[in-house]
Amino acid sequence: MSVTITADEVLAPPPAKATAKRILAAIWSWAPVYPMVAVFIIAVIGPWIVPLSPTSVVGSPDLRPGGAFHFGTDSTGLDVFSRTFAAFRNDIVIATLTSLVSTTVGILLGLLIGMNESRRGLLGWVARFLVRVLDLIQAVPAVVIALALVAVVGTSVFSLTVALAIILTPNQARMVRTEVLKVRTDAYIDAARMAGEREFTLTLRHVLPNASWPALENASLVFGAAILITATLGFLGVGLHPPTPEWGSMISTGASDAAVGRWWSFVFPAIALVIAVGSFALAGQRIFGRRND
Amino acid sequence: MTGHEQGAGTRALAVLRRQRWWFTRVLALPVHLFFFAAAVFFLVRMIPGDPVAVLTGGQNVSAAKAEQIRASLGLTGSLLSQFVHYLHNVVTLNFGNSMMNGLSVWGELSQRLPETIELAVIAMVIATALTLVMGLVAVLKPKSILAKILIPYARTAGAIPDFVLGVLGIFLFYTTVHLLPAPDGIYAPTLNPDPKVTGFPLLDALFAGDTVMFGSICAHLVLPVAVLVIANTPLLLKIFLRALEEAVDAAPTRFRIAAGASRRTVLLSIARRAAPSAVAMMGTLFGFMLGGVVVVEQLFAMPGMGLYGVDAVNSSDRTALEGFLIVVATISLVVFLIVDLVNMILDPRRRPGLAKEGAS
Repeated sequence: MSVTITADEVLAPPPAKATAKRILAAIWSWAPVYPMVAVFIIAVIGPWIVPLSPTSVVGSPDLRPGGAFHFGTDSTGLDVFSRTFAAFRNDIVIATLTSLVSTTVGILLGLLIGMNESRRGLLGWVARFLVRVLDLIQAVPAVVIALALVAVVGTSVFSLTVALAIILTPNQARMVRTEVLKVRTDAYIDAARMAGEREFTLTLRHVLPNASWPALENASLVFGAAILITATLGFLGVGLHPPTPEWGSMISTGASDAAVGRWWSFVFPAIALVIAVGSFALAGQRIFGRRND
Repeated sequence: MTGHEQGAGTRALAVLRRQRWWFTRVLALPVHLFFFAAAVFFLVRMIPGDPVAVLTGGQNVSAAKAEQIRASLGLTGSLLSQFVHYLHNVVTLNFGNSMMNGLSVWGELSQRLPETIELAVIAMVIATALTLVMGLVAVLKPKSILAKILIPYARTAGAIPDFVLGVLGIFLFYTTVHLLPAPDGIYAPTLNPDPKVTGFPLLDALFAGDTVMFGSICAHLVLPVAVLVIANTPLLLKIFLRALEEAVDAAPTRFRIAAGASRRTVLLSIARRAAPSAVAMMGTLFGFMLGGVVVVEQLFAMPGMGLYGVDAVNSSDRTALEGFLIVVATISLVVFLIVDLVNMILDPRRRPGLAKEGAS
């Protein structure tokens, strides 16, 4: 028995039901990225939608969550809800700038070092010296380097970005360097070299696109790390100055509140911090696959 | 030179060449320290604000007095002579007096160091033991329930920062159930300190036979140690699991299995192959612990090194910051040196200059 299939049947679009399903599946498959998108949206609109001023005393201190103060007030009478949401912007701005700067500089440094490390002459020396410098920065705990840098550059959003970029660039550079060392001996590089391409254009056109993925993949983790270090400095009392809304300093005030049972001024900024850091890790995993676990 | 002497000379040279791997690595330490000290020197001089004003609290002082203060801070003369003077001070551990309280920086640091080391080492030992056990369970029994919990746990690495865990711990175990003491230092403030023998609070209490003090210190250590362990173990476990998985998949392991070696031999081979990564991991871990200690000491009001550093930054105390940075860097660099050396012993392929020797 033969089955005849007409051209119409073949060319007809797949049943509508399946399409809806596919769209749903596509929407669902990008679900891990949504928290990050939400965090970005809150960062943009956060300071505008908060009901009360995040930087001035708006009520009596130590009010429980509820009523006008959704998350209660802290020990000085600042509104925890407004501060928690307003804090998204500062942290996200710092983290975005830091991951942009440290990834860009890290890729360039990684290329410079990887291509020149084993070379004679000035460039080789510079590259080997840079390796040592990166090693030294990474050998000392990040918090300690951050403390030292903050003492010098101060604690504005911009200077924190500079400090964090110095701390987080070495790892990016090192990952790119490792990849450059692998890629450098590939056949297409030799081919390009024999075709007469100059070392500089060769690096930019062939090595850069093939060796920069580790740093790009890691950018989402740099993002999380930048938020964490910003919060840690705030917690230690050397970050953004209160009353600038910032989770670390809020948690620091909340810590003494929590020790006497007033949990709310600690819990809400802590949850926001964990969500912000976690959302980037989650999105990074979805976008770049599981290669990095 | 006679032939015999020449032979001895070449032999000595050959010995030297064979030992070069650890030799050069050890010699690199002072070089690294020098670079770091230089970085600290310039960094501290870049701190904005007039140190004289910081020291005098903004009062007006005569020019001569201000000059005298500058001299005592090592801020007079050319930059080069300042630098030479500073290096001499660093080598002789004379960091000067703190601008906060006028006490000797090294005296203060050496007093605080044991407490910090004690905390970091206890946390490190526990975290390492946990990681080894959990890693082995996850890799050897990948279908067990424990492994199914452990692997996602390792993936959450670093999502919950140490200070959040700390505050949470205080809230749950001190405020809510009153199981643990208040975060008020190394031991209960009502107790008198034991005579200093080693400087390590726990050991000193033990030597003095002071069980009350010993108990108090232990109770005060539970939360800080738990915070450091819980915050840092996932990252460690992640690195270790990757190393173990690589070792399990490695060709030599497959060969042993294919050749019908006993389970014990195969496991030993896996452990042998994962060992260098595990050791390298310890170095990283110690770095994390040192960083974590800064946070934990602040949270639990423990007067250690970390708190000193934070106070120094807060009061723009240059001399204290200088001393703090140099001491932390020295500890970190020495730990990395030890890690490197142990790894070169475990895995000769990691020794530098080996390829060159093999070629000649």
